[in-house]
Amino acid sequence: MISAKHINKQYDGKTVLNDISVDFPDGKTTVILGPSGSGKSTLLRSLDMLVRPESGTVSFPDIEVDYSKPISKKDSFNLRRKTSMVFQNWNLFPNLTVLENITTAPITVLKRSKNDSELLAKQLLKEVGLEGLEDRYPSQLSGGQQQRISICRALAMHPEYILLDEPTSALDPELETQVLRILEKLCEQGQSMIIVTHNMEFARLVSDKIVFIEDGNKLYDGDTKDFFNHPTQRIKDFLSGISLDEETDSIK
Amino acid sequence: MWHIIVSSLPEMIGAMLQFTIPLAIISFIFGLILAVLTALIKFIEPSENKALRYPWLALRAIANFYVWLFRSTPLLVQLFIIFFGLPSIGIQLPAFLAAVIGFSLNTGAYASETIRSALLSVPQDQWDAAYTLNFTTRQTLMKVVLPQAVRIALPPLSNSFIGLVKDTSLASSITILEMFQVSQQITAKNYQPLLMYSLAALLYAIVCSLLSWLQHYLERRTSKYVKGGQN
Repeated sequence: MISAKHINKQYDGKTVLNDISVDFPDGKTTVILGPSGSGKSTLLRSLDMLVRPESGTVSFPDIEVDYSKPISKKDSFNLRRKTSMVFQNWNLFPNLTVLENITTAPITVLKRSKNDSELLAKQLLKEVGLEGLEDRYPSQLSGGQQQRISICRALAMHPEYILLDEPTSALDPELETQVLRILEKLCEQGQSMIIVTHNMEFARLVSDKIVFIEDGNKLYDGDTKDFFNHPTQRIKDFLSGISLDEETDSIK
Repeated sequence: MWHIIVSSLPEMIGAMLQFTIPLAIISFIFGLILAVLTALIKFIEPSENKALRYPWLALRAIANFYVWLFRSTPLLVQLFIIFFGLPSIGIQLPAFLAAVIGFSLNTGAYASETIRSALLSVPQDQWDAAYTLNFTTRQTLMKVVLPQAVRIALPPLSNSFIGLVKDTSLASSITILEMFQVSQQITAKNYQPLLMYSLAALLYAIVCSLLSWLQHYLERRTSKYVKGGQN
C-alpha cells in the first residue's frame, strides 16, 4: 500500500494540494477524479517525486519519504523503484527505437542484460499487440501505439504501481479504446494502478476506489460504487457537468 | 593571369594546409570541449547537498564571467592580448599556440550558448519520463537529452565552425603565415591585389563549402528519428 499523508503543495503562493492524505491499496485500481486544475496530477506526481511538495510523507511498508526534509539519493531511488509513470503525451524518447525505449531503463538502471531486456520488451510488445514494431521510431507511430509502448516501458521496470496521468486524454476515441483495453487487462491481472482520468465510464468500470479532488482539497475518498450511486451534491454537479447526456440523472 | 595563379597556388594551398586548416580544426575541438563543459555548468542546477552546492555555484560564476568576457571583446583584441600582451607579465607563447588559445576560448564562449539553448530545447517531459524510470541526471543527459540536443545544435555549431575557418585570417596579425598572410606577401611582389585576394577568397569558399556539405551529412545522420528527417 502507498500511504500519502498530509501532502501540501503550493505553486507561487497558491495552494494546489491542501493537507491531502490518501491510501492507495495494492492489487487495486484507484482513480483520481476532479475538475481541471484541481491538483489531481500534482498529487499523482508527488508519489513519484516528479513534483516536490513542501511537506507531507509518502510511505510504503518498507520505505518512507518525508518531503519536509532533504531526501537522500538512495531514498529517492528506492521510492521511484516502486512506481512508474505513464504520461498524457506518452513522452517516449524520440531518439530511441521502440525496443530501445523499453530496454534502456532496465539495462541502464537495473543493470539487466541486453538479451533479457530485449526478450522482455518483445514479450510486452506482443501483449499490447505491437509485435514487429521494435525497430521503428516513435515519430513513425500513432498516438495510441505510442501510448501502448509507454505502458510497456513502465511495465519493463517491474514497478509495484503504475501511475497513469490522463493516459488517454490526447487520443481520439478509437485509439483511446485500444489503450483502455490494455489497462483493463492489467487491472484484471491485479496490477496496482493509480489513474488520473476524465473518462467516467472507464473509471466506473475498472476502479476499486475513487479519490475526488477539487481546489486542492479531498472531497471524496472511498468505494467506487458509493461514489456513483450515492454522490454528494458537489459530485452530482461534477458528473452532470462533464456529460452531454441529460440522462446522467439516472446515475443519481 | 593563369601563370600568376598557377605559380602562387601551391604556396597558398601549402599555407592553408599548414596553418589555416589545423588552426581551425584544433581550435574548434578545444572550443567545443570548453563549450560543452561551460553549457553543462550553466545548465545543471546545483545539488541540494551543501558540500557540492557552493563549489558548483562558484564554477557557474566563472563560466558566466568567461562567456561575458569573450563575447564582449573583439577577437582581434583577444589575440593581441594573448600574443603581444601576456609577455609583459612573463607569459611568452609561440604564435601558433597563442592563436589556438585565442580561437578556442572565443569559439567556446559562443558555442556554449548554442549548446545551452539546444539543451533547453529538449522538453521537461523528457526529463520527467527519464526520472520516473529512475535515470540519474547523468544517465538522462547521456541517453536522452544530449542525443536530441546534438541535432538541434548542429546547424548553429556549423555556423561557428565555418566562421572560425574564416576568422583564422586574423592570425596573420600575430605573425602566423596562414593563407591570407601568404596572399598578401605574394601581392607585395606581383602587384595583383584583386587577383590574389580573390584567389584567397575562393580558397576559403571551397573549404567552407566542404564544411556545409559535412553539416548536411551530419544533419541527415542525426535526424533519422524525426519524421521526414532523412529527406
